[in-house]
Amino acid sequence: MTVLKLACATIVLTVVSTVLMLIPNWNGPAASTAAGPIDDLLTVTIVMSCFVFSLVMVALIYFVWRWRAKPGDLSDGEPIHGNTKLEIAWTLIPTIMVLFLGGYSWVVLDEIEGKEPDRMVVDVYSQQFQWSFDYREQDATSYELHVPVGRQVEFRMHALDVIHSFWVPEWRVKKDNVPGVTTHLFVTPNKTGSFQLICTELCGAGHGVMRAPVVVESQAAFEKWVRQQDSVPDRPADGKDV
Amino acid sequence: MESASVTLGHATGDHHHGPPEANKSSKVDQTTLGLLIFLVTEAMLFGAFFASYFFLRVVVNDGPWPPEPYELPVIVAGVNTAILVSSSFSIHWALEGIRRGNRKAATLAMAVTWLLGATFLFIQLNEYIHVGFSARDGAFGSIFYGLTGLHGAHVIVGLILLTIVNVRLWRGHFGPKAEDHRGLELPGIYWHFVDVMWVIVFVTVYIL
Amino acid sequence: MPVALKQAGWWRALYGLVIGAAFGYGLVVALRAASGLPLIQTEQTGYPQLVVALITGPLGFLWGIGCFDYWLRWIAGGPTVPDDHADHGAKNWKDYFKVNTDHKVIGIQYMVLTFFFFLVGGLAAMGVRAELAQPGTQIVDPNTYNGLFSTHAAFMIFVFIIPMFAGIANYVLPLMIGAPDMAFPRLNALSFWLLPCAGALLMASYFAPGGTFDAGWTGYAPLSTGAPIGQSFFNLAVQFAGASSIATAINFLVTIVTMRAPGMNFWRMPLLVWANLSTSLLVVAATPFIAGVQFMVLFDRVLNTNFFEAAMGGDVISYQHIFWFYSHPAVYIMMLPGFGIISEVISTHARKPVFGYRLMALALIGIVVLSYSVWAHHMFVSGMSSWLRVPMMITTLLIAVPTGIKIFSWLGTLFKGKIHLQSTAMLFSLGFIFTFVIGGISGVMLGMVPLDIHVSDTYFVVAHIHFVLFGGSVFTIFAGLYHWFPKITGRMYDERLGRVHFWMTLAGMLGTFIPMHWIGLEGMPRRVADYSAEFAAWNLEITIASAILGLAQLVFVYNVVVSWKYGPKASANPWRANTIEWLVSSPPPVFNFDEIPRVVGGPYEFGVPGARHAILAGDDKATVEQPKPATVGSVGSST
Ligand code: HEA
Ligand code: HEA
Ligand code: CUA
Ligand SMILES: [Cu+2]
Repeated sequence: MTVLKLACATIVLTVVSTVLMLIPNWNGPAASTAAGPIDDLLTVTIVMSCFVFSLVMVALIYFVWRWRAKPGDLSDGEPIHGNTKLEIAWTLIPTIMVLFLGGYSWVVLDEIEGKEPDRMVVDVYSQQFQWSFDYREQDATSYELHVPVGRQVEFRMHALDVIHSFWVPEWRVKKDNVPGVTTHLFVTPNKTGSFQLICTELCGAGHGVMRAPVVVESQAAFEKWVRQQDSVPDRPADGKDV
Repeated sequence: MESASVTLGHATGDHHHGPPEANKSSKVDQTTLGLLIFLVTEAMLFGAFFASYFFLRVVVNDGPWPPEPYELPVIVAGVNTAILVSSSFSIHWALEGIRRGNRKAATLAMAVTWLLGATFLFIQLNEYIHVGFSARDGAFGSIFYGLTGLHGAHVIVGLILLTIVNVRLWRGHFGPKAEDHRGLELPGIYWHFVDVMWVIVFVTVYIL
Repeated sequence: MPVALKQAGWWRALYGLVIGAAFGYGLVVALRAASGLPLIQTEQTGYPQLVVALITGPLGFLWGIGCFDYWLRWIAGGPTVPDDHADHGAKNWKDYFKVNTDHKVIGIQYMVLTFFFFLVGGLAAMGVRAELAQPGTQIVDPNTYNGLFSTHAAFMIFVFIIPMFAGIANYVLPLMIGAPDMAFPRLNALSFWLLPCAGALLMASYFAPGGTFDAGWTGYAPLSTGAPIGQSFFNLAVQFAGASSIATAINFLVTIVTMRAPGMNFWRMPLLVWANLSTSLLVVAATPFIAGVQFMVLFDRVLNTNFFEAAMGGDVISYQHIFWFYSHPAVYIMMLPGFGIISEVISTHARKPVFGYRLMALALIGIVVLSYSVWAHHMFVSGMSSWLRVPMMITTLLIAVPTGIKIFSWLGTLFKGKIHLQSTAMLFSLGFIFTFVIGGISGVMLGMVPLDIHVSDTYFVVAHIHFVLFGGSVFTIFAGLYHWFPKITGRMYDERLGRVHFWMTLAGMLGTFIPMHWIGLEGMPRRVADYSAEFAAWNLEITIASAILGLAQLVFVYNVVVSWKYGPKASANPWRANTIEWLVSSPPPVFNFDEIPRVVGGPYEFGVPGARHAILAGDDKATVEQPKPATVGSVGSST
């Protein structure tokens, strides 16, 4: 009987906490094709986490309340040493849960990292504490990142001094820029607007203000903008691809 | 070393108040076990440098290894390896000597071990002088000196230990019983470790 | 020569320090002179003369304070003096400032010193929070800010949490297994005295030209290889702290293997002993990696080698691999001893055997094994080889399984118990389950690559860190300190103040660290002194809550100081626990036991009629009583 009640309590708490946890839009506005799958993954994870959390909390609170010792009670509890079936259950069930989460994550990872043949390439250069962007196809360079909407962009990233990291929260993706190697990041922006590129790897005193404006615009607007930029300057040779 | 003093303390002082004798829950000798665990950490310290070697050589390096124009004196290092490896045999001979109560053999073998070790170190330093590049010459130079230097530091520590053992042998320390020659056996284990480590370093850095 | 200068002690330590430092300085100058270089090098990163002096100085200090006296005498072939145990036990407070080989004295030295470092690290955190109370720059410039959180984390991790657990175990573990002391008491003393060296180096870095180290506690190359001299203080402090924990780990392992009381087989060891066994296994195999990598950084800085110099063929990412190969296991080094403490406290205060004792022990070993195969989960966005991510994700997620076993088994232990909530130790243990599950779940989220790609290096990670380190490690530390306080000091603490401490800490910690999840997901990066205005409201709230959290710790300090002096005398076994340390008086006699106790059953046989864990020699009534095999049950087989 108690077991049933506890199970009900767990389910109720799971539902309530899940609902509460799903109301806010945790990751903020989304603006790339990677955002959908990642946000869905977060949702599924939140549901499962709420279940695990509720299970532990219901048990914890109920047990403590139900079997708290009365003042002066010096007796001992029941000498229960274990229960093999239970122990197997709480080894197996979490294993299945995390393997599910792992498999799901793998699928999402493949999805958001798929490469498209007609992608545009942008070379990203980072140095203390500034970003610059080269468009070698269009022979343009800029301190602002402009990309057309709806087309995949491959960022080839270079660091000129220490490690920096490329993050646009609305795109949900991030990758370090590492001295000596060229790292790659694939994004398909699917919403126009102005965003911010944030450096997320500690790179010195200016780390907190190392940002760059990001503009996602129509193909026409992008082409107009890119023609107005200076030509690509000389840059150090690319690092090894990773 | 620790245990030696503890047993001594108990042998002499029936009257003085001290801690009770600890229960021996394992047959292994404490100091030996401690040393063996310590050697695990030593091996892992080498492991950190081997990991670095792997990254520098395999992951980021594209060209030949060692990079032009550097060359490693494989033959000299090979002879040196033989010298160091033979010192492992001589120290074993020293241990067997003291086990059988043959102090002369032990003293002689220990002296030979020390000389072999010192020769190794000497040749290694000589190699550093003539090898033609320094630790600042590219990542190759850094990791070459990193690995061989780390090992060299261990040889120096080993030689200090061997010096102590030699002095103690001359002074007539050590005897055939296991407790009485631990001060020889443990530096011996350490020395074997230094030798084995060298073989691995040699094979990795010079041969592969 | 006056005696005061010849005898081990603070005077000799002082001039040992000076002579050692001068020797190191002189050595470098002499070597440079011999090779025809300018005598003094003052390149930003270099200062070889200072770096070597920072190694030889502390060594001189250690010699002066007397850590090496016995060994030096032994090496010199001097007569081995029979140990008169003069350096055993402490007669007054001054003895705590001397080299002492008694594990109980060393344990107290550890706990007090590392708690002091907690306050220092906490003060740095208060600086961090003050700066972050509003967007923009208020009280410190960005460089100082970077220094603040770097030192904050370095103090907390290297000289607070890790050695604090070593200190608690130092005190309790030999008693628990029925040993008169640790296996290598002199090495034990050295382990302790290495810590003030590490802590002093961390503090001294504030006075270094160019400021303290500011590359984060992770000290990623090449930011760290190009940083001012303060970074070298960090490199060296880590070496001293690392040497200390390796020495302690060896000591624990040997003690546990060779010095258990008769009858205590592995399946009768208390779980705290199991926990320290696993932790020590992690330490001996992982810590050399951080030692190695910090040496490489030091070489790059001082000798201009090129381990991490990309332009010269170095590999930047290899720093992270080697660093995390230590520092991921390190997070379990900071958690497993806490798991051990929780098992002791919960079973004692719930008056029940630990549920599934064997699986609990095996789960610890499982975590040890798994934790060597997950390091790259800190590097999902680092640009490392991308094929490594999925395997590392799977192993990372699998760590939730043995950890879950522990959580569920503690719940099983509470089931049908007689739970005593008056004890603050128990409150902290129950609070720990609550906070650690949250921290663990956020860890699982971070382990999932696509989510980590979004939230890595944001406040979501900061939230995870503090839920596992504060809600995990620190809560268990408090549980342990409260639980063994009567044993250690011989006096009871004030439970009312303890409860105030607990509830304030819990409220403060939730108020401080829960909103960090939110602002992290929404896009606030970590390690920034300045942030966009949209996060201002939450940051102000966090700062206020963190002040409550800080003040709560002052309640603890007050409680400890006053109770230690004036608290009511504690009986030998105020919690009616079963493990051996409670069989002896509080505080325990100088040599722990007159005769080694005999272990006759499992450690947690609460509620089993007639069951006993151990019998002290001379306890006649008990000796006749035969241990009933049935009572040992599924817990421990007979020897
Ligand atoms: C005490 C310290 C501690 C502990 C115990 C943990 C535990 C875990 N940590 Fe954490 N971690 C840190 C300290 C710690 N961590 C620190 C300091 C950092 C930041 C370093 C830095 O960059 O500065 C970090 C960062 C960090 C990252 C990198 C984030 C990033 O930088 O991008 C990741 C990613 O995988 C991670 C994962 C995990 C996981 C999966 C666990 C797991 O062990 C958690 C397991 C526990 C549970 C899951 C809860 C209980 C289980 C159950 C109730 C069973 C059922 C559960 C499920 C089915 C889900 N941690
Ligand atoms: C065990 C580890 C531990 C502990 C206990 C803490 C405790 C605290 N931590 Fe910290 N923290 C880390 C480990 C830890 N932290 C790590 C590893 C990092 C990452 C660093 C990096 O990025 O490199 C980090 C980073 C970190 C940040 C992020 C910095 C950034 O990324 O920019 C912040 C920000 O709020 C923070 C806050 C706090 C606070 C408020 C506490 C509080 O709980 C502290 C409470 C304690 C006290 C306050 C001391 C006691 C009181 C006094 C001494 C009296 C004075 C009191 C007042 C004036 C009120 N910590
Ligand atoms: Cu660039 Cu942080
Ligand atoms: Cu980790």
